Amino acid sequence: MLKLAWRNIWRNKGRSAITIAAVMFCVIFAVVLRSFQIGVWENMTHEIVANNFGYLQLHQKGFWADQTLDNSLELASVNEQIFLDHPDVKGLIPRIESFSLVSTGEGTKGTLVMGIDPQRELPGLQLDQFLVQGSTFAPDDKSVVVAEGLAKFFNLSIGDTLLFIGQGYHGASAYGRYPVVGIARMRNPELNKQLVLMPFKEAQFMYNCVGRATTLVVDLEEGASYKQVNQELLAAIGLSALELLSWEQLFPEIIQTIEADMAGGQIFISILYVIISFVLLGTVIMMVAERQREFGILVSIGMRKSKLAMVTVMENLILTMGGALLGMAIVKPVQFYFKYNPIDLSGQMREAVERFNFEPKLHTTTSFMININHGSIIFLIGSLVSLYAVWKIMTLNPVKSMRS
Amino acid sequence: MSKTVIEVKDLFKVYEGPVPVKAVNGISLTIKEGEFTALKGPSGCGKTTLLNMLGGLDYPTSGSILVGGNDITSLGENELIDFRLRNIGFVFQAYNLIPVLSATENVSFIMLLQNRPKEEREDRARQLLQSVGLTGKEDKRPGELSGGQQQRVAVARALASKPQFVLADEPTANLDSESTANLLDIMLKLNKEEGMTFVFATHDDRVINRARRVVAISDGKVVSDLSK
Repeated sequence: MLKLAWRNIWRNKGRSAITIAAVMFCVIFAVVLRSFQIGVWENMTHEIVANNFGYLQLHQKGFWADQTLDNSLELASVNEQIFLDHPDVKGLIPRIESFSLVSTGEGTKGTLVMGIDPQRELPGLQLDQFLVQGSTFAPDDKSVVVAEGLAKFFNLSIGDTLLFIGQGYHGASAYGRYPVVGIARMRNPELNKQLVLMPFKEAQFMYNCVGRATTLVVDLEEGASYKQVNQELLAAIGLSALELLSWEQLFPEIIQTIEADMAGGQIFISILYVIISFVLLGTVIMMVAERQREFGILVSIGMRKSKLAMVTVMENLILTMGGALLGMAIVKPVQFYFKYNPIDLSGQMREAVERFNFEPKLHTTTSFMININHGSIIFLIGSLVSLYAVWKIMTLNPVKSMRS
Repeated sequence: MSKTVIEVKDLFKVYEGPVPVKAVNGISLTIKEGEFTALKGPSGCGKTTLLNMLGGLDYPTSGSILVGGNDITSLGENELIDFRLRNIGFVFQAYNLIPVLSATENVSFIMLLQNRPKEEREDRARQLLQSVGLTGKEDKRPGELSGGQQQRVAVARALASKPQFVLADEPTANLDSESTANLLDIMLKLNKEEGMTFVFATHDDRVINRARRVVAISDGKVVSDLSK
């Protein structure tokens, strides 16, 4: 039966080629589309979460809902050893995050101030990698690094001085005067326009919250499952006065945006599936019409309809599987290419992406699951479409078919 | 005395429509083992309809067809297909070979459906092709053979399942005189040497002249039945 099916495939090479090509291009198109969609979000999420905010953050309970220094946590109240004992936790990274009015010369602007220890920080805040001018600060220094966009706004140079005035812990005045020792280009475009970084200790001092931090980022080992770590830490620390939040809880709007975008992409791909279904159905209808007479003969000479149907299903499955496998294989280098050579966005698209604080580049994901998923779906469509041939065979009248 | 292979009793086939057409109108007929029978008549007289019903390809409106004592009109679709596979060989006007299979494979295909062992299939196919004069053409596909050669492959295929009888519907209609004579020689040889029963539906005088029994049909009825 398989031999017969195989030879039938080669008897009308044009039709077989159309079927294989249709399936192949559908798989390629669907996988490329989905790879870009998922890849962009993977990259954006990694950019935002892994490099800047961390997959898990520990706060004083209620801080995330009301992000003021009054809701900062007392570092002494956190048993850091429990975190360090977890094999997937590298450490806790303390931060002070607040706002301040900054001025220099005649310019004044509201800015986001982060007190950090660059040597302990996540990759997105390891300043030496992002400096475009000057140098970074040491933990005990009394100086600041300014984001490039903000530096442009103030027309700053290394050695210029910035004045800070704001509100500290429990209503205390927060003010200070710090020289600019470096200008850094932040990957996140929004942060690049408004961020000032200063040593963690100096931020504690300026905001009158010595011994406190607004956030402790849980620094995870590469490849660790943050969900699992989250569960295990929650069980270990008992959170009466603290909150341990995953990035999904911290940024639900990102999840919603991803889901909305994915749903949109799914609709587009569904339309593609409908089109390919009709293309495949067309080739099956052509095949059945061409071989109507032959089907009649085979049934006449004693071939059961079920066996004949099986042969045609085999033919169709071989063709769709061939197309799907080809598509899955051909698209793989494309996925790898755009993973490491992302497309730079420009114009309105760039602005739109930047508005969401994401890097304006289109990356792909190289996950083979996408190829398998879409290859399988299209293979399934091919299988379903071959049911038309099964139906026609099971209902054929051999005499009428032979006359056709 | 030869045993009865086919016994047709009061067979009717009516095609319903605005004006019902009686394609077969009360035919009763007996075919004995080893007969070489031609059903003759003009186009539309009902001979192909009768042949289709004898072969279990079509159901009669009423009447019975006994093959080896079994009424095939009472069989279900799959039973009929299996019955055809085991008992009937078909030769069609347009050869109707499977284009993607070689001559040997076309002949052995029936035996494959019968789940016969590969060695037996190949031996019998080779033997049958030899008996129809196609030695050396075993590996040719239908497209590489002439019309006469294709029809001889069809005859070999019809005999492959060791059927009780062979039904041939206008087998010479597409053949030239030489091929027709050649084909009839082969069929008569198989009829004489192996006792194979042949029933033809034809209006070709070349076949009718060589048949040993000629049943004339007109308007769905047997109008004469002559044995030579």
